[in-house]
Amino acid sequence: MNCEKCQDIISDFVDGSLSREDQSLLNAHLEECLECAGVRDDLQSIIGFCQTHRGEYVAPPNEKALWQRIRNMIESGAGSVVAAPAPGKPSRISLWKNWTGRSWELSFAQLIASAAVIILVVSLSTIVGLRRYQTGESAKSNSSPVDGSLSLATADVRDRISQQQQLISFWNQRVEYNKARWSPQMRETFDRNLQVIDQAVNESLNSLSQNPHDEVSEEMLHAALNEKLSLLKEFAEL
Amino acid sequence: MLNSPTLMKIRMPARLEIPRIRFYLKSVLFTGILLVAAVGAGSAQSQQRISKRYPAAKNVRVELKNISGTITVESWNRDEIKLTALLESPKAIISPRQTNEALIVDVRADNRGRSDIGDVNFTLQVPVNSSVDLQTMRGQITVTNIRGDMVSAHVSSEGDITLLGITAKQVFAQNTIGDVFFDGEFVAGGTYRFQSGKGNINIRIPADSAFNLEAAAPNKKIALGQFWNNGFKSMGDGRKYVGDVIDGRSKVIVTNFQGSITFIRR
Repeated sequence: MNCEKCQDIISDFVDGSLSREDQSLLNAHLEECLECAGVRDDLQSIIGFCQTHRGEYVAPPNEKALWQRIRNMIESGAGSVVAAPAPGKPSRISLWKNWTGRSWELSFAQLIASAAVIILVVSLSTIVGLRRYQTGESAKSNSSPVDGSLSLATADVRDRISQQQQLISFWNQRVEYNKARWSPQMRETFDRNLQVIDQAVNESLNSLSQNPHDEVSEEMLHAALNEKLSLLKEFAEL
Repeated sequence: MLNSPTLMKIRMPARLEIPRIRFYLKSVLFTGILLVAAVGAGSAQSQQRISKRYPAAKNVRVELKNISGTITVESWNRDEIKLTALLESPKAIISPRQTNEALIVDVRADNRGRSDIGDVNFTLQVPVNSSVDLQTMRGQITVTNIRGDMVSAHVSSEGDITLLGITAKQVFAQNTIGDVFFDGEFVAGGTYRFQSGKGNINIRIPADSAFNLEAAAPNKKIALGQFWNNGFKSMGDGRKYVGDVIDGRSKVIVTNFQGSITFIRR
């Protein structure tokens, strides 16, 4: 048994509520570890004192006044000391003070975890930024994965289509990977339906190339791309 | 000439052969029937039929995810669900799961990663106030006389969708290739979405239906019939119509990429 485990269960030990097995393990540890034995002795003496002086506590004559005095002393003294509020009184110490007054001693594991989170966030934002930059560049250089006619469409539309197209490419790969397992009938069905959707996509793109601000074509394009995405997803999971 | 002995000799065998040919024909026909019957019996044996009943609340939800095959749902006057499945292949696995509120049949999950399991044709009888959420990758969906909160029919690829006698607050019907037919009522505050890639969408509703409509078809085949009024706004040179019928108390969105959209008065 180590000290951490020992100190977790030592109060149960003093209360006498430990199992025999735990008790013998703890005893063995206490014989070896002076620090834990000291903790045990302290606890036992506190409990002993409380048991001896049970019922001797007398409430102060004016409890409210006492709390007020304590508060005044704390407020006039060191600001970093956080006082417990008087019973029934709301805390006057601001959240900010509470926050800044808190002790920020972190364990080694917490430090490692914090560093890992910071590294992860920075890496992700870098990747996302790079991807967005590359997407913009590829759209500018007229190498859009959908169609060259997109060059006439607005940047916003292009962005959204590009995002949808990336997802479509991903699911398309999954479909191609799984396609061999399907029956010939299922393969034919998939191809036939994909053709219908692609036709709708191309028609919308043609309309958009003629009129880049055509809202209806834009809507139809997004609906068709979503439909394509949905079809690919479902067949990819087959 | 006819009485000449030579001719008699020639005709006599022909007369004799007619009954023989008839006999052969009959034999062939009989054998054919036997063969067809045998093949039919064989295929019937290879098909498996599952039928189960589940006790259900009046407003039970039924979720069905099929891979391929027809789905037919109809209401009946009992507080139970009867599920009948006809399995084309004995390899198919079906494990319906019942919770407090729903009956869930997920053929896709039950058979994930398996090779082709063929068609599974479902027939469900459900309480009239049930909600139904039906999906298949291929095959027809037919729903009749349902008055629950929701009727959802989604065919990922091809298959007609027929919704008859539907009074639900949320209706969703979508396919890629195939017709969509809705015959029912639009409930105040309800949402109704119909979408097809290549097929005709026909919506048959009472004459006094009140709804807000967004209908889009790139080929401009949108026929609102009696429901047309001057308040409708035409967009994209007649490819989309937006407007209210009466007070627009329910929302109707219809999209068709290649087919027509037609509203029919009941």
